[in-house]
Amino acid sequence: MAKDMTLLWGAGSPPCWRVMIALEEKNLQGYNQKRFFFEKQEHKSAEVMAMNPRGQLPAFKHGDKVVNESYAAIMYLEDQFKSQGTKLIPDSPADKAMMYQRIMEGNTLQQKISEVLYYNFFVPEGERHDSAIKRKQEALAAELKLWDGYLAGGCCLAGKSFSLADVAIFPIIAYLLHNCPLCETRYLNIAAYFNKLKDRPSIKASWPPAWFENPQGQELLKGI
Amino acid sequence: MVWQRKVTLLKTVLTHFSFSFQTMAQDMTLLWGSSSPPCWRVMIALEEKNLQGYNQKCFSFEKNEHKSAEVMAMNPRGQLPSFKHGDKVVNESYAAIMYLEDQFKSQGNKLVPDSPAEKAMMYQRMMEGNTFYQKIVDALFFMWHVPEAERHDSAIKRNQEALTAELKLWEGYLKASGGCLVGKNFTLADVAIFPNIACLFFTGLCEERYPQLAAYYKCLKERPSIKASCVEKPEEYAMLKDLIKDV
Repeated sequence: MAKDMTLLWGAGSPPCWRVMIALEEKNLQGYNQKRFFFEKQEHKSAEVMAMNPRGQLPAFKHGDKVVNESYAAIMYLEDQFKSQGTKLIPDSPADKAMMYQRIMEGNTLQQKISEVLYYNFFVPEGERHDSAIKRKQEALAAELKLWDGYLAGGCCLAGKSFSLADVAIFPIIAYLLHNCPLCETRYLNIAAYFNKLKDRPSIKASWPPAWFENPQGQELLKGI
Repeated sequence: MVWQRKVTLLKTVLTHFSFSFQTMAQDMTLLWGSSSPPCWRVMIALEEKNLQGYNQKCFSFEKNEHKSAEVMAMNPRGQLPSFKHGDKVVNESYAAIMYLEDQFKSQGNKLVPDSPAEKAMMYQRMMEGNTFYQKIVDALFFMWHVPEAERHDSAIKRNQEALTAELKLWEGYLKASGGCLVGKNFTLADVAIFPNIACLFFTGLCEERYPQLAAYYKCLKERPSIKASCVEKPEEYAMLKDLIKDV
């Protein structure tokens, strides 16, 4: 089954990492995979575009079914391989509801981090404002306070067991802490969550071989 | 006579079930605002699952009521929609619609296809819908997010171009599919994406430039769940007319 799967991915990308964690959790090791380098613009190469016209990674295929968008891929994998590997969707309606909500909130978390970290990438020089940077830093700080609160229970994000919510969100947390080590001392529950899960087999097995280094962005993160 | 008893029994069973559906909806609360595609998504899903009769309250974005204590109590983000079923809060419109389909699989319309290929397509289109909606927000709703001193014509132009490119993608998706976003049947992908497309046409998106989107919109706007839940106020979109004309 894994032999019918192909993952195109880039290192240090939370969306790519999510799919890799899900594949590990579902015991689907041995899938075909190819690494592309964002720095060389390889995500816009013909090979990626053929599978994902958006020129984005991850791009995932199972047989003749293309499933781009990392959230779509992880939901598809859990749905299709429910009975193997780790159960990633809880049975209890309350935990399930929480799981869906946290997964979707992950988009907001990722976006708020990117808006600070990649401010100078997204915003042309003539459009930059200190007021905007400050506002985005404050928004990110508020966002992280929310997640620190969500993780106060000391467990996983949705109930007691590791679920798709953790598959979705852990990579973002790891990515944040890599780019802003200071956050470990400022957001203790987030730090504890990271330390608790970083040695989980699926996470260790798929840990990014490299991260995209962005010193300018990392400076901006220090201000949150 | 036996058949009379069977009919009576059937009527009792049906009444019991519709009473149950109503009871279930009565355990639900939706806080919403008008002219909000995310809110509309949840309302469509509730209709599709025959969960009419839920408790609901409308809040005004203009009066900042989405930041009121009542909303914040249910959604600390101060965002709408905010949804509750019994003691379970499910914020985020996508989370709510997925929860509803999962919990009420066996009633109303089936919103997740069985075939793995269609299911995969449905999940992908739904998640692409996030990107789609973000581009709409950046191009049309930026007045709510970007202080006046930080607005630039160059940014507005760039965001309009990004939305145009995004719409071309969706034109292609609809051309290749069978009337809905995933084949012929209405799915969660349509629940998620239709409100995005509808709000663009309310704003004045040019139908001739986007014939597939226009056909999709015209066909689905008559769908009962969509008609029943449409509370869009055209005047709230009129002010955006100038921004959409170049898209």
